[in-house]
Amino acid sequence: MSYSVSVKKMNEILKELQKDYKVYAPKRFEKRGRYSDTDLIRYAEISMVEEIVYDEKADFSPKEVIYPITQTLFYFTEHEYKESKVHDKGILIFARPCDINGIKRLDTIFLENGDQEDIYYKRLREKVKFILMECKEGWDTCFCVSMGSNQTDNYSLAVRFAENNLLVEVKDEAFNNLFANEKTTDFTPEFVTSNQVTVKIPEIDNKEILKKVHDLDMWESYNSRCGNCGACTSACITCSCFTTSDVIYSENGRAGERRRVWASCLHEDFTEMAGGHSFRNTPGERMRFRTLHKVYDFKARFGEEQMCVGCGRCTDRCPQLISFATTINRLSEEVNKLKNKKVSQVQAASKEVE
Amino acid sequence: MSKNLLLPKPHEILEIIRETEIEYTFRVEADLKVEHGQFFQISLPKIGEAPISVSAMGDNWLEFTIRKVGKVTNEIFNLRPGDKLFMRGPYGTSFPIDKYKDKDLVVIAGGTGVSPVRSTLKHFYQNPDDINSLYFIAGFKDKKSILFEEDLENFKTKFNTIYTLDNEQVEGFEVGFVTEHIKKIPFDTFEDYNVIIVGPPAMMHFAALECLKNGVPEEKIWVSFERKMSCAVGKCGHCKIDETYVCLEGPVFNYTKAKELLD
Amino acid sequence: MNHDINIKELQKNCFRQSKVPGEFMLQMRVPGGVIEARHLSLVQHIADTWGNGQFHLGMRQTFSLPGIKYENIEAVNEYIKSYIEDIEVELCDVDMDVNDKGYPTIGARNIMACIGNSHCIKANIDTTTLARKLEKLIFPSDYHIKMSVAGCPNDCAKAQFNDFGIIGIAKMEYDYDRCICCKKCVETCAHHATGVLSVEKGKIVKDTCCCVGCGECATVCPTGAWTRNPKKFYRVIIGGRSGKQYPRMGKMFLNWVTEDVVLGVIGNWQEFSAEILNHKPVYLHGGHLIDRAGYDKFKEMILKGVELNPEAEVADKIYWAETEYRANIHVKPACNTK
Ligand SMILES: Cc1cc2nc3c(=O)[nH]c(=O)nc-3n(C[C@H](O)[C@H](O)[C@H](O)COP(=O)(O)OP(=O)(O)OC[C@H]3O[C@@H](n4cnc5c(N)ncnc54)[C@H](O)[C@@H]3O)c2cc1C
Ligand code: SF4
Ligand code: SF4
Ligand code: SF4
Ligand code: SF4
Ligand code: SF4
Ligand code: FES
Repeated sequence: MSYSVSVKKMNEILKELQKDYKVYAPKRFEKRGRYSDTDLIRYAEISMVEEIVYDEKADFSPKEVIYPITQTLFYFTEHEYKESKVHDKGILIFARPCDINGIKRLDTIFLENGDQEDIYYKRLREKVKFILMECKEGWDTCFCVSMGSNQTDNYSLAVRFAENNLLVEVKDEAFNNLFANEKTTDFTPEFVTSNQVTVKIPEIDNKEILKKVHDLDMWESYNSRCGNCGACTSACITCSCFTTSDVIYSENGRAGERRRVWASCLHEDFTEMAGGHSFRNTPGERMRFRTLHKVYDFKARFGEEQMCVGCGRCTDRCPQLISFATTINRLSEEVNKLKNKKVSQVQAASKEVE
Repeated sequence: MSKNLLLPKPHEILEIIRETEIEYTFRVEADLKVEHGQFFQISLPKIGEAPISVSAMGDNWLEFTIRKVGKVTNEIFNLRPGDKLFMRGPYGTSFPIDKYKDKDLVVIAGGTGVSPVRSTLKHFYQNPDDINSLYFIAGFKDKKSILFEEDLENFKTKFNTIYTLDNEQVEGFEVGFVTEHIKKIPFDTFEDYNVIIVGPPAMMHFAALECLKNGVPEEKIWVSFERKMSCAVGKCGHCKIDETYVCLEGPVFNYTKAKELLD
Repeated sequence: MNHDINIKELQKNCFRQSKVPGEFMLQMRVPGGVIEARHLSLVQHIADTWGNGQFHLGMRQTFSLPGIKYENIEAVNEYIKSYIEDIEVELCDVDMDVNDKGYPTIGARNIMACIGNSHCIKANIDTTTLARKLEKLIFPSDYHIKMSVAGCPNDCAKAQFNDFGIIGIAKMEYDYDRCICCKKCVETCAHHATGVLSVEKGKIVKDTCCCVGCGECATVCPTGAWTRNPKKFYRVIIGGRSGKQYPRMGKMFLNWVTEDVVLGVIGNWQEFSAEILNHKPVYLHGGHLIDRAGYDKFKEMILKGVELNPEAEVADKIYWAETEYRANIHVKPACNTK
């Protein structure tokens, strides 16, 4: 069932929802952007419709709601490990289709990879219900359509924001009663059907090509461009890497915690072992690693879908203006060249035999 | 709620054996089923975690041979018998002992690489009838880096051994890298055999090439990888090489797979 | 030619004497160094019609038009009326009557500024807007003052070499939970700034004593753990100068002050100058003026009625460091001092 709800009424509904849920949405942090007098838009708890930034893309993805940047795993007192706790409310997230699809990728890593569930992820993830923010047009860096992540039916509510009201589709019956007195309408969310940017996924279908991809000259061009800042992976809805470390907080050294914080494969120390040996030593190699994870090996491992959902945030956030869509397309072109070369070599060889 | 895969359990240290100045073997009380070549995440609360291979196992105990290189390992070196080590595991793949049975086995190990393969060696030392022959090439940098001296001595009695130091002359040791001694293995006399190579990345690379040069088929070679690890359970991403997670599909790989793992 | 020209008067009118007798160079003010490009056609017209066809990008960001003959000055002054009106009155809200006589004074020099945060990724403030506000405070005044506004402590505007240098700074705020300990801020602060950041217990700590407020840490932080406090802050450098005798870099007078404080201080400049110069607007470098008054007196007068914000820091003392081209340049015969 769908309803037309005034902003005022929606605020009342939000208030009601907040009794049982923490509600997260993209929110504006004025003048907190990377550059002076620019704003930062990121996910945070909201209590009013007016706080929701629905007409701009958020700088950061909603992943931090369920996969916090810093997360305590254990508290230590003397020699005891105490598991950290979480709040007992549910979680509602206003999210776009790309992000809802992105969280599915996180699920794959945290709940499936290695056949074991990560309870720290799970305990927040299982509280989550999505409120789909209709996204009909996207922005100039989005390529969700190419990645097939422009649509989703994984939501409890879907909303379209208008001047003074919201159109709300209620899919999850648990929320029906909140809208019982509202005017019904025939709204179902539309999805973006084409982006300004399209990407072609490289067809890496055997190890021989993969090996050649590793050796491509194109990666070297990033040695002078990429600054290894990790802004791309921090913004990415699907980047899941972290580093665990322990800290002592008290003066006497008795109390402390084990925590994990996000990590980035673009950072120099991502593969660094004790003694200083690293496995990927140039920005180009790290760029290759990230690119392949997003558009080749996640799918190679899990079969279903590419890791990247085409949200374009990595491009938006890159201070060196490296477009990830362009990187993918460059790679595709190079892979095609490699394949054509192979075909022509085979043809040439068979000619010689003739 | 499902079990917390990151929660370690305390294990008492039974004995500490000084191997070298910077490598000690810690024997801990543990009643766990472990396969040869697997590792544990060893931790000290408030200090941190580190992946460490099992270097030997017995009834109700495991041994870990740890090199003192940083934050966690430094702190572990301050422990005494009776203190607790926190552990979660075992993790990772192991050397397929069953596949090695009744065949010839060649083990080539360099430096701390001897540690992950030590339990395999001990297994065949205790069950010599399980194997046709065992050739063991062990290389260390110099005299003061020699590990497991007692074992090395014992192994001589049942295995064909070649022990070598990079560039120091010591009684009972050859001089030179392990790779230089591979040609001494009589591969052509073996009917069916396997080769295990463990050591620093460069050593493994060149030893494998040397084996291939000596006619060893790729699928007969087994290696154990070391990578940065932060979780050991396929979540943190540090150990990933393309679609392979070293903590899950490794650290022990058959060479047919290992050769495809390009960092 | 038999010239009889009052060059002092022309100088005050913003025409500078040329080495060619009878020729002058007009210096047109561009407060903050940014105006609409359309004004260039006017500049070109002056150069082509009355000048020698060239223009110099003046060292203080003026349009400088050389080769203007004395006899054309009147025509030029008439012609630039619209420009003075556009720039001074319209853009900077300067309180002045614009007539056919050109610039009324050269006293307070053109206010320089870098491009600021309307463009620059490093800038912390909108230098252009501030320069225009300052222009209103100091123009047209016969009292000499040189000012420059820099968007960040990089100081491309050379605020360090002006009577008053105003530098945009930012109070950085750290979000503990957003920090992933990548150390990028630590590296960049050490590389570009003061190296006041370090890692402690897996997070970042700052030695607040010496943060210059440049904002490099925020620019480089991948997660937005460092952000600028939206409130704008300024550092005020005084007494910098070039010159043949004893050039020196300025010294910090105020730190972490708000725009209100900056405007209040500059607003006091004329009164301070008048008092120290006995109400005679003779040409004296601002730095020398401060020296003549002595720092304590200067501080007292320039901060008169200025309400300092809670974060503000004020220099207790200033120890100047001059370049003495000649050793003991200040040591002069006792009987012969001015
Ligand atoms: C499968 C496996 C088996 C290992 N077996 C042994 C063994 O039997 N004996 C032994 O002495 N060492 C072994 N190592 C190496 C050992 O894990 C590191 O030396 C140890 O993590 C260093 O920790 P640290 O805190 O003392 O050093 P620091 O220099 O203070 O810290 C090094 C940092 O790198 C991280 N790190 C994660 N994985 C590694 C890694 N593989 N190598 C180095 N640093 C790493 C640490 O957690 C830490 O954050 C093994 C590593 C792996 C992956
Ligand atoms: S890689 Fe870039 S486009 Fe793809 S999901 Fe991540 S941030 Fe979005
Ligand atoms: S791209 Fe890098 S940071 Fe992101 S998930 Fe993959 S390995 Fe981790
Ligand atoms: S955001 Fe850009 S510069 Fe920074 S690590 Fe990513 S690709 Fe490199
Ligand atoms: S603002 Fe301060 S802490 Fe940040 S880079 Fe500049 S000097 Fe360093
Ligand atoms: S740059 Fe940001 S995330 Fe990295 S260490 Fe500094 S504050 Fe933390
Ligand atoms: S060690 Fe974390 S994924 Fe392998």
